[in-house]
Amino acid sequence: MDLVQLQRQFVDYRTSLYHEGFLDEQFTQLQELQDENNPDFVVEVVSLFFEDSERLLNELARALEQQSIDYKRIDAHVHQLKGSSSSIGAQRVQKVCIAFRNYCEEQNVEGCLKCLQQVRHEYSLVKTKLESLFQLEQQILTAGGSIPM
Amino acid sequence: MLEGKQNGQVFKLPKVILLATNITNVELEKAKAAGFADTVIMKPMRASMAAACLQQVLGIGKKRQAGKNMLNGSMALQGLLCGKKILVVDDNMVHQRVVAGALKKFEVAVECRESGKAALKLLQLPYCFDAYFMDIQMPEMNGFEATHPIRMMESKANKQMNGGMDEDSGRKGEWHVPILAMTADVIHATYDALNAGWMDVSKPFEEAKLYQVVAEFFKSTRSNCFT
Repeated sequence: MDLVQLQRQFVDYRTSLYHEGFLDEQFTQLQELQDENNPDFVVEVVSLFFEDSERLLNELARALEQQSIDYKRIDAHVHQLKGSSSSIGAQRVQKVCIAFRNYCEEQNVEGCLKCLQQVRHEYSLVKTKLESLFQLEQQILTAGGSIPM
Repeated sequence: MLEGKQNGQVFKLPKVILLATNITNVELEKAKAAGFADTVIMKPMRASMAAACLQQVLGIGKKRQAGKNMLNGSMALQGLLCGKKILVVDDNMVHQRVVAGALKKFEVAVECRESGKAALKLLQLPYCFDAYFMDIQMPEMNGFEATHPIRMMESKANKQMNGGMDEDSGRKGEWHVPILAMTADVIHATYDALNAGWMDVSKPFEEAKLYQVVAEFFKSTRSNCFT
């Protein structure tokens, strides 16, 4: 694939992520913060998000397995996940977190388990998509091109 | 800047900017009444919002997005911001990174702390930071609890200055740090009410107004120095 095609593919793919609600305006903000002084900013912040989310998802699974469920603790974890997903613009993950917190408040274990499943699913989707996006970027850079804004 | 030259008699006026993920009506009212929050910022922190905040509290011009087309006067203003120190307090590591990234665009020195407790250790007079970005809702100590000691220090300092008149401005010096609270879950009505000031921040600043703001900032800083 030549450079122009790669760049076109990149733009189309990125646009689709916004249209499908995987990413929102906040992700654009991150891209705008990246410059020569901070060339890997987006990848760094997103990687931090991946690490943080995986830790939180494990904590959540553990917490929901307990005999006596600590909803406050679960809520605190979901609150963190909501914060970090919104910080990078991972909109669908953020939305599930909102529903998740409502179930926590109601102390509804079924609801919480359902949300955990959903948030895991959304997280894994956005992770895959962002990784593909970064891969495309890398291909463009390797081919000597620049990333279209 | 006045870094490292604190002689115990010259106090810098720090700007405190609170970040909140969640704020109840009660907390909002408390913030207003206590004079904690003059301005509220939506979390997550957008790059443009970081620019606007800094504009408002430090009276500094904002970089154009690409960093290429700067207003004539902005160069001078950029120079003023260079070397400032800002403390970011947020228990969410990802958000902390984003805020630090936004601030670094202005070539300020950024330090981060994860809790109000950790931050308080740095918030002693004389201040060594020019601005604080603080999350209102952290588990151990929320933003209000962390800024309360600042208010106490200020009101003590104000009492000491009571009766003293500043020659320049002919008015009493008064310590009051503008606080910008950031929040994600604020109901619009309350948000607007709290944020009459914030609405200005979102508008693009005109250069002439910028100079005015900066001039006033430095004037008020001088008048707050003990002599």
